[in-house]
Amino acid sequence: MADSPSFRRHPLPFSVDLVRWVPSTASASSGRLLAAAVHDPSVPASSRLSLLPLHDPASPLASLQLPSRTTALRCSPSVLAAATSSGSLHLLPSSFDTGSAVSVPSGAGFHVGPVRGLDCGGDEWVTAGEDGRVHVVSDGGDGRVVARRVWDGKGMSGYEAARWASSAEFATGGAGCGVQWWDRRKGDAVVAQCKGVWGHGITTGMVHSIDIHPSRKHICVVGGSSGTIFAWDLRWAQQPIPLSFVGLDETAQPVCESEVWEVLFDNYTQSSDIISSVSTRILPVMLCSEDGILAIVEQDERHVELLAEACAINSFDIDPQNPSDVVCALEWESIGVLTRGRDAMAQE
Amino acid sequence: MPGMPADSGGAIVRFSGEPKHAASAPPVRPIRHGVPPPISRVYISWSSGNLLQVACLRPPNPEEGAGRGAEEVAGSVVEVNLGVGAGNGGAEVEGEVDDAEMRRIEYGSVPAFALLQSRKNALADAAAMQHMHSVSEHAEWWQYVLEYSKTIGNLLGNPDSLPAFMIEDPRAILKVREKPTSLKAAWELLEIFYVDKELHSWLPERLVDWLADYDSLLTKTDGTVYCKLNNFQKKLINLQIVENDDDYWNGLSAALSVGWLDVVVNMLRFHGSYQLDQMDNRETENGLVEAVAVLVSTMPRMRPDLPKGKLGQCCKTRPDFIKTWEKWRGQVSKLECSAFWIQCSHQKTRDGLKNLLHIMLGNIKDLTAATSHWLELFASHFLYIRPFTVGFEGMHHLAQKCIQLKPSFDTNGLTGLLNGILSENPEVVLAECTTKFGPWMVAHGMELLAADNDYADIMLHEERPNFGGISIEELHRLVYAQVLCSHSLTWQIAPTYLSSCLNQGLGLLEILLLKQPIQDNRLVLKTLELCRLYELEDVGTNIMKIAGIYHWKHGRKGTGVYWFQQAHDKVRLDRIAQQLFERIGKSVADDNFKQWEGLLELLGSDIGSAGGLEFLHRYRDFKRSLQQALEGRTGEAARQTVEFLIQLMRNPSTPQRFWLPLLHDSVKLLNCKPHPLLNVAETTLLLNKLQELSMAKLRPDFCSNHLPIHALSSVRLALGSNLARAILEEA
Repeated sequence: MADSPSFRRHPLPFSVDLVRWVPSTASASSGRLLAAAVHDPSVPASSRLSLLPLHDPASPLASLQLPSRTTALRCSPSVLAAATSSGSLHLLPSSFDTGSAVSVPSGAGFHVGPVRGLDCGGDEWVTAGEDGRVHVVSDGGDGRVVARRVWDGKGMSGYEAARWASSAEFATGGAGCGVQWWDRRKGDAVVAQCKGVWGHGITTGMVHSIDIHPSRKHICVVGGSSGTIFAWDLRWAQQPIPLSFVGLDETAQPVCESEVWEVLFDNYTQSSDIISSVSTRILPVMLCSEDGILAIVEQDERHVELLAEACAINSFDIDPQNPSDVVCALEWESIGVLTRGRDAMAQE
Repeated sequence: MPGMPADSGGAIVRFSGEPKHAASAPPVRPIRHGVPPPISRVYISWSSGNLLQVACLRPPNPEEGAGRGAEEVAGSVVEVNLGVGAGNGGAEVEGEVDDAEMRRIEYGSVPAFALLQSRKNALADAAAMQHMHSVSEHAEWWQYVLEYSKTIGNLLGNPDSLPAFMIEDPRAILKVREKPTSLKAAWELLEIFYVDKELHSWLPERLVDWLADYDSLLTKTDGTVYCKLNNFQKKLINLQIVENDDDYWNGLSAALSVGWLDVVVNMLRFHGSYQLDQMDNRETENGLVEAVAVLVSTMPRMRPDLPKGKLGQCCKTRPDFIKTWEKWRGQVSKLECSAFWIQCSHQKTRDGLKNLLHIMLGNIKDLTAATSHWLELFASHFLYIRPFTVGFEGMHHLAQKCIQLKPSFDTNGLTGLLNGILSENPEVVLAECTTKFGPWMVAHGMELLAADNDYADIMLHEERPNFGGISIEELHRLVYAQVLCSHSLTWQIAPTYLSSCLNQGLGLLEILLLKQPIQDNRLVLKTLELCRLYELEDVGTNIMKIAGIYHWKHGRKGTGVYWFQQAHDKVRLDRIAQQLFERIGKSVADDNFKQWEGLLELLGSDIGSAGGLEFLHRYRDFKRSLQQALEGRTGEAARQTVEFLIQLMRNPSTPQRFWLPLLHDSVKLLNCKPHPLLNVAETTLLLNKLQELSMAKLRPDFCSNHLPIHALSSVRLALGSNLARAILEEA
């Protein structure tokens, strides 16, 4: 990691809530693309999902109007999905053909209020909302989508994150309730729960993001309030592993002290301890936070800070096809593109 | 503020304007609230910025049952944005810089401003230790201010940033650049005069450079040199013989008078005598043109260096400059008196070139004729007549003279600003910034103004009773912060400015934070982060409570409880507990508990913070254990259940209304076991509780539950038989 990463900020004329890399297809001629959930509060009804070219993100190639602000955005190889703060879900082919977009409207049959948990597992999408409902949305044939209710918490608990582990299992997290592990083979029920380990002597916090590594499906990494990041291994479900306060000694500084908005396993960073990397070891994790930190944390290692911005980093994504490239959405109406590694200079 | 609504469903309030404006109708905004008439009350309150919240309520209808009432809207809250389409701001910059661009500047200036403030505070602490008077006595200070000024200047746009690969047109007179903005021009003026100490001795040349960058902005009505050249550039394409055109020579003299030497030399090369087919018969003429071009390009200039592409000889010291200047002037006058002029047959070339030489010799009449704006005349004085002008007084005097010669009726922010600077009048500078460049400019420019100027320093920082005890600096910062607060994207940077206002900033910051919307958990967390940064724990706690109530009211009980827990709000958690008990007490079938699971998980093991809700947790444990015991798994489960029961009954937080249901649930367990599960003391405790309960039944506030009538007696019987067995066993 000796070579310095290059970072570029692109100011935009609108606010960016979430940003993702769009999986590139062989036929794409316009270069690499980003999907961004944007809005402009000075214009009514301006929430939309936009397709931005990487070389000039300020001029969107296409846009899809959404009924309210986007609260979750995910890309599968063929579909882009966005959930909104009013509780609707919108699915769009990744070619961004807005004509063939389908949506599940908000309401009693789906979600009411923000849906922050959204993930794609094969053909199915899981949604988990602050209203306490969990749905699995799948293709119902002839261009329609069908939402099936897995659970209705009736507001007794609210969910902020969701992630598939396998086609039958997924994890959710929310306010104060830690992380739940759902198994669809056992009657769509929660089979394991974890309260988490929260910093600053507090006993509870809000989960904002969960990631599960495709090769280690029994381990969740969780980011949440007060700079908390922890890993939860289902095999030792009673002992979550804190990642945010690790260091060589007890006085080590936490990576950040504010909200950790997103966490993702970082395939680009090699684990510092490859030889003894047994399956219990947590792989490197990237996070972004309200105080403007983009960093990599690893179990029992000092964290590596990639960015320390003056404003919040609300969202980030690692390009699955070029894991050295990271895009992030900054609070101050801009997106940043970070290119790591040796070939950084060559690409400039 | 309730008002009387009109009967029609559209516009709401009758408005009688002041008598003066009676002629103009008040603006009416129809709003769609979707509430069917009649409307009994209308509430109006300001939200953040230009948002007005209007709440329309129907009269409460006593006939409607609770079930049906939910279907019809009883009222609604509409947000009205008054800012849209009504923008006619006074500041000049607004037309030039669009909203998104201005926000980019606002965001970008935050880190620079914060850094400067923290450095200032550090230096002030150090100054207090060393018994110095003010921060500006520190040597580093002005360098910090310069760094700040450069950072902000870069943010405002970089006029030198040319597109990297562009084929230069040889016939292009003016370089294609990023369009300059007056905001940047004004900022640079402040920097030149107030901050950049190192270059003070080259002030005249800096002003000439500044004019070269921003000449196009000087005026909209009167002409400028830039205008002249731009017009000629358009004409140039259709010109066959340039030297026959008067505009060519006018352009040349104009460009030379303001010192754009590269432009002059480039334009001279357009002269027809350079063309190969004419070389032979126009040899002398061409020689004269070339001689003038060489003289122009070797003009001595009193400055440390020249940017790439600019012409002239640099002289760093005064004696050096005087020597070169004398020599160069000698060459110019020698050429002026040369005999070759007679051999030059082209009349216009002869006159034009001679005019250029006169300008170089500093002929006031020719300079006045060549320039258009007084500022251009001012700059030409520095170049050709008084290169050693220093000090504000001399410059101001000269400026007055130039204004008399070339009065301009177009009052422009830049000239006004320059006038204020030269007359050493910081009040005027501040006023010009306020009216012409807006609150951003004032809030940030004040740092430059006071960098090395004691008078301005005192003027800005003196606390004034007529402003409510705040200083001018604080006033302008507060104004700027208000502008930021009014936009939902920029409110988050307002705290940086508010926190630098010692008198009223913190109070306004608290109001700002409390006014933020709490509907969205993420926004609440962002607000709380600011509370944490500025150590406003009480405000944060209040926000959490407000958010808790909002979520609770909207049926998101879990989220509501979460926020109350975070706020350590015992009072409200107890209230909530009472409401929940009511619902649990009514129906507590075992499968129903699944729904409460999430909430119970939230309440967690940290019982202290959950208020009365800790009962729910124990109750759940008891129920679970009872179920296991009844399924007859182990005697251990039965014993465990009884322990839970005793704990619950002993605990003062267990509501009385649950005593009987708890005991009734346990009857089966107590009866079916061969050995007594409770010892004598425990049984006595339960019997006492039962007695207490029968007494309480007589009180008016007793809540009855939905148990069968014989419940009490069956419990009593079970406990009695248990007691008997326990006594036997212990004996």
